[in-house]
Amino acid sequence: MKRLLEQNFYELLGVEFDASTFEINRAYKEIYQLYREDSLVSYSLFSGEERRQILARLDEAYSTLIDEEKRSRYDQSLVECGILNEGMESQDEPRAVRLMSDSKHSTINTILTIRDEMKAAVSSNPVIQEILTHDVLWGKDLKRIRDELGVSLETIAEMTKVRIIFLRAIEDDEFEKAPSRMFLRSFLKAYAQSLGLDADFVASRYLKRIDN
Amino acid sequence: MAHIWPIGGGKGGTGKSFLTGNIGILLARQRFKTLLIDADLGAANLHTIIGLPHSDISLSDFINKRFSTLEEVVVKTPIPNLFLVSGARNKLDIANLAHEQKTKMLRAISRLNYHYILLDLSSGTSFNTIDFFTLSDSGIFVCCPEPTSIENFYRLIRSVYIRKIRQILKAHQFKKLAEKAEARNPDSVINRPEYLLDILKEIDPEKGRMIEKILHAFQFKLILNQVRKQDNPRIGILLCRIIEKHLGLKVQFIGNVGFDERVHDELCKKGPFIDTYPYSQATMDLKALIKGIREATHVESGAPPSTQPDVIDTLSG
Repeated sequence: MKRLLEQNFYELLGVEFDASTFEINRAYKEIYQLYREDSLVSYSLFSGEERRQILARLDEAYSTLIDEEKRSRYDQSLVECGILNEGMESQDEPRAVRLMSDSKHSTINTILTIRDEMKAAVSSNPVIQEILTHDVLWGKDLKRIRDELGVSLETIAEMTKVRIIFLRAIEDDEFEKAPSRMFLRSFLKAYAQSLGLDADFVASRYLKRIDN
Repeated sequence: MAHIWPIGGGKGGTGKSFLTGNIGILLARQRFKTLLIDADLGAANLHTIIGLPHSDISLSDFINKRFSTLEEVVVKTPIPNLFLVSGARNKLDIANLAHEQKTKMLRAISRLNYHYILLDLSSGTSFNTIDFFTLSDSGIFVCCPEPTSIENFYRLIRSVYIRKIRQILKAHQFKKLAEKAEARNPDSVINRPEYLLDILKEIDPEKGRMIEKILHAFQFKLILNQVRKQDNPRIGILLCRIIEKHLGLKVQFIGNVGFDERVHDELCKKGPFIDTYPYSQATMDLKALIKGIREATHVESGAPPSTQPDVIDTLSG
């Protein structure tokens, strides 16, 4: 068993060397649940100091791997110490968009799998379930759901191809930013779908406020 | 040979006896000849869970040689196919088993002829508990999604570690190892057996590998009990993940059993819960658990015996 602090960033987050930003985000979110200060799962397993070290190391891993420039420098250092073979790390095209490119992984399948996971997370999360009983949904409700699921706006933008300013406008209830009501509706649906929510349900509860 | 499922959990009140009793009843109803052994030596109450009136024969009668075989202290229960080695009338000093008494009992258990033998263990991390828990490789941890329970769960796991290291090393070797660990990491000696193992692998690779192999051979299971609606249903999976990552032990999550406040009422009435509330969530969860454990222990998926096993006669009741 290799000590956690001795693992390289990829091992630490449990991702492959060619993982996309999306996969890294997901892995970090998951692993953070295990080690965060008030985590029930690792309660009493580590001393305060150990936990701080682990969290700092996780932070370092995450901030390095989601930054293309830092990541390629890090990859280079792994190549130099023989951990990574030249060419194993992706060089040319930015990994952030690999999800949408024609890679060896099927993009569509990845997104579908993620949506299934999201759906499961949605149905088992009492906070989200409570929000979904509301007659009317506000931008802050959607943001709360997104936070509960631990998904970033960047991730949704990546999945839906909707620009981040429009996604943010949805959460801030700034309807005027969308080109038209029809666009707003379709952005809303894309947003909802990417979180594993019922798109029509969310769109109609949200738009109720404008329509009235 | 019987499938032996020791059921343990570091903390008292997590529901070990409740689960052992009710899983036993469900297995018996599926026509598996099932034996429950109340190995919670100091605080036995499995008989109460299955609603059995007081029995005159107890495990201590075997340990104290009033009966020469373990079979003789097995009692019938009102439930067909379900048998019990009761702890109801255990002598109060029985919790402190001498080494040879324990060895005798462990050997006797593994020779019994049943489809399933469920051992209800005491809480805490005594060597008795650890040795019964590691009697088969299918030890089942029962834990509740709360800090105290999780803390004791980790303690129990680490005790298994320590126990195995101590069984392999001679006293002076262990002392040397502990000193070395202390010198290197003053804050975490005995509480961190995983560090001990790492150091042992350096100073005596052969023994280190041997212990690692023993630990890896275990296929522990985890059941989360008393899971409330607001609890994260994935805690069990995450617990197993972190144990594998940091302690290098394989623990398979079997499932959640929902919290049901009626369990308390039923315990007060001294009857089996699953009979009074056959359609409750907790009963459904228990049924799913059995399937999960059987699959996880690679029990041949064949149907339960079609006829009642005729072994009842061979047992003295």
